[in-house]
Amino acid sequence: MSQTLDELGVAAVTGTLQGAVYALVALGIVLVYRASGVFNFAQAEFGTTGLFAAYTAKELWGWGYPSAFAFGIAAAVAMGLLTERLVIHPLRNAPRVTLLVATAGVALTAIGLQFWQFNETLVMTMPKIDDSFFLVPPFDAPVTVQQLITFGVLIAASVALALFFRSPSGLAIVAAQQEPTAAELVGISVRRVSMMTWAMAAVLGGLAGILAGPNTTFSAAFLSFGGGAALLPGFMAAVLAGMRSMPGAVAGGITVGIVEQMGTLTIVSENVPGARAAVLFVFLLAVLLVAPRGIYLGKAAVA
Amino acid sequence: MSVLEVDKVSIRFGGVQALREVDLRVGEWEIVGIIGPNGAGKTTLFNCITGFYEPTSGAVRFRGRDITAMPVHRRTALGLGRTFQNVGLVKNTTVAANLATAQHLQTEYDAWTGFLGSPATFAEERRISERGALILDLMDLSDVADERVADLPYGVLKRVEIAAVLATDPDLLLLDEPGSGMGPEEAHALGDTLLRLRKEFGLTIVMIDHHVPLVTRVSDYVYCLNFGEVLAAGRPDDVRRHPEVVRAYLGEPDQPAEPAEPVIPGGTAGPLSTQEGAPA
Amino acid sequence: MSTTEETATIPRATGAPTDAETTAVLAPVPAAATPEGRWRPGRAGWLARGAVWLAVAWLVLALPANQLSPITIGPADVDIASRAVIFAIGGLSLHVLLGWCGQISLGHQAFVGLGAFTSAYLVTDLGMSFWFAIAVAAGFGAVQATLLGMVSLRLTGLYFALVTLAYGAFAENTLFGITSLTGGEGGKPAARPPGFESPENYYYLCLAFLALVIWLDWRLTRTKGGRAMAALRENPRVASAYGINVRAYTLMAFAVSGIFAGIAGSLTAHHDEIIVKSSFDFRLALTFVLMTVVGGLRSRVGVVIGSAFFAILEEGAFVAMVEGLIGGLGFTPTFFESVIGLPAEFVGLVVGPILLLLTLTLYPGGIGQQIAPITRWLGGRRFDRHAGAVREVEVDDVRA
Repeated sequence: MSQTLDELGVAAVTGTLQGAVYALVALGIVLVYRASGVFNFAQAEFGTTGLFAAYTAKELWGWGYPSAFAFGIAAAVAMGLLTERLVIHPLRNAPRVTLLVATAGVALTAIGLQFWQFNETLVMTMPKIDDSFFLVPPFDAPVTVQQLITFGVLIAASVALALFFRSPSGLAIVAAQQEPTAAELVGISVRRVSMMTWAMAAVLGGLAGILAGPNTTFSAAFLSFGGGAALLPGFMAAVLAGMRSMPGAVAGGITVGIVEQMGTLTIVSENVPGARAAVLFVFLLAVLLVAPRGIYLGKAAVA
Repeated sequence: MSVLEVDKVSIRFGGVQALREVDLRVGEWEIVGIIGPNGAGKTTLFNCITGFYEPTSGAVRFRGRDITAMPVHRRTALGLGRTFQNVGLVKNTTVAANLATAQHLQTEYDAWTGFLGSPATFAEERRISERGALILDLMDLSDVADERVADLPYGVLKRVEIAAVLATDPDLLLLDEPGSGMGPEEAHALGDTLLRLRKEFGLTIVMIDHHVPLVTRVSDYVYCLNFGEVLAAGRPDDVRRHPEVVRAYLGEPDQPAEPAEPVIPGGTAGPLSTQEGAPA
Repeated sequence: MSTTEETATIPRATGAPTDAETTAVLAPVPAAATPEGRWRPGRAGWLARGAVWLAVAWLVLALPANQLSPITIGPADVDIASRAVIFAIGGLSLHVLLGWCGQISLGHQAFVGLGAFTSAYLVTDLGMSFWFAIAVAAGFGAVQATLLGMVSLRLTGLYFALVTLAYGAFAENTLFGITSLTGGEGGKPAARPPGFESPENYYYLCLAFLALVIWLDWRLTRTKGGRAMAALRENPRVASAYGINVRAYTLMAFAVSGIFAGIAGSLTAHHDEIIVKSSFDFRLALTFVLMTVVGGLRSRVGVVIGSAFFAILEEGAFVAMVEGLIGGLGFTPTFFESVIGLPAEFVGLVVGPILLLLTLTLYPGGIGQQIAPITRWLGGRRFDRHAGAVREVEVDDVRA
């Protein structure tokens, strides 16, 4: 029993930190959904793309960490803009399901390219920003500085987004989403708003990927379905946020992180194969059936 | 016993009281018209009668039977047929396919046995197809039977919709703005069609429309709604001249004429008479 | 209820206008395509069509099984052909949900996987016959799909897609991880039924099931069930006004989809003769969606071709075929690899999603739309280059 308690404590800590990655992904998902009603299935692949680009720059071309990081983000943004241009914009009047399949297609294309380009090196590693870690009492939960940095970035990103949405550009995004015609009439370019949204979502995804990658080894499809699978948890966090609330996405990400860790508790993982997938599935089902409008709604009033 | 009885039906959406204690009675074989400015609650009333909304209070009765909470498809089975403001058809298939689909309840085999291919289904399919063709012929639509609904002009679709609803074998027909988009001649012809249908099928008809001449000519009884309430009810000519009704459409005298309620795009306010300041 | 023959005497309500001389002046119907009677091909036309049909039959029935064929293909390739057929069944399964019913399932591989493991377990552990096993697999597939269908009734389309995604992962890791039933990492063996062990015979077996599934799917669309689904897919309000129980028919669509998936699963298990849970991963899930969409959401033939194409693509066989062709024409055989630098095994991974995006943005009808002129021609109608153009009408996306 005390072992379970210890494990619970560790799970809480680990889950919170892991949840930071999910929260970053969720922020991107919520951003895109609020701006265009699209479920962005490529959100996590923005991250993998950024990670691979950063890896290439650092490990293959020998760049320094900061430049490689920036390069990774740039690559993610490029992918986001390309997606917007070539896929989202032409399909802007299509049913939402079509757009979902389209973003899944974008994700798959990225994954295909990753397999192609990086298959010789099946498993890649990238050094962390800082290798140190420590154990947190009282449960001796392992915490790496990388994870703390990720969490810090999450907070910074959240604050930046909050400030951004008070700025004229941010309000333009909200306006364009609520009333595109009226927004155009007032001089807001819906087109540029769309591109800005996707670029921002790509940055968030890229951050998630580049920060999460070094925690483990990675290969193609890392952030979507691979070792760092954050797509489904990210969506779950977004659901908890009612697909609307940015602070809700942060809270949601952390919640999902902790819930997922419940699958690593010995009593669970011993008795349930694939416990993490099972836990996530049950949790998602419960949330959608009981509280489909979300739980962490904050001030995001339903429009 | 009346065919349809709406008994103090009220419905509320959030802060908006869309219908307030509406009473309505329709007798066998009557044609009843419902008029009123935009936003008066006419379609909302239809939705309550047909089951797309459930009233917050009050009851809807069909031939004495309480159907207030009954699902839509079961009301169709009882004999309520309805058309929609924006033409309710399956647009991506042909007219004939719509007629076949509309005869869903008349298709006498179980969906699963049909799927697995029992011989009886072939004969039934043929019967359905013939019945559909008959109805199309009645509405002078045989030429377009194999055309895709999405390709046809609006006026034709209005008639297709009536054919489809007839295929559901209704006792009571609820028509939501059957005359919308029609000029005076077409509306007149529509009136003739409705009278003919009533006679040939023994139907009871309730219709919402803004063509006051059409409604007046064809209806036995008229209700006027405004702000979710019944403003006036009676013989068509009486209702048309009722001061409240006039005021609802034209506004107060001695004041700059203002619309009865906020302008809502879509649908004309009808040719009651000259309307200064009424929504264009 | 009255028919057109009966004329009821209506007690005239006072004030009602007379209708004795009802001259229904109905607006004339605009001159739509006035068919001058069904066009029939001439003799040459029939001969040409017959020849093509024969060629298609040969391609499907004879070539992969090395019957009546100038070339001999190896057993591995016959197995690929079987796989293509099985994929086609899987594609038709998802097509029922996505194409006829508008529901998106991102975890469809779970339905197939359940069928596979059920069949394997019944044959290997319980010693049942293959025929019984495949029937049970179909039934379990239906049950599983219906359960998910009940969830879909409570959720809008996009959220349901998430649930299917989570369910796919759950099935792959948890359900298929129950070692006693699925053999864990080692997988579960599944022997082929007696008489069908050879690659050629198994191919014919799969083909027979494909024919069955196509026939059933065709029956579905020709009867009230299919019409109900088409209606509720586009406009559930109108469907219920037509008297269709939208919930019941949604569940029916799921059940039918599950039946087809179960069949595909069982055939897969006995095809590979051993199945492991890792076969049913996210890549398979997304491949399903790919092949159904690229195949064409309203076209059975398109889905069959699309699925077969993706199956062959995955095995690298397509590339081999193309390269063989190119080599025969005198170009460098390793075309893809040397010119673009794309090794054969990844062509599918890269080309597939690109095809998907092209389909969605430029050619919404997919393969089905592209080959519609040909399929129509084969059906005995005049060759029309513009046949099958998909002009999807936007209807209110009620579910999302």
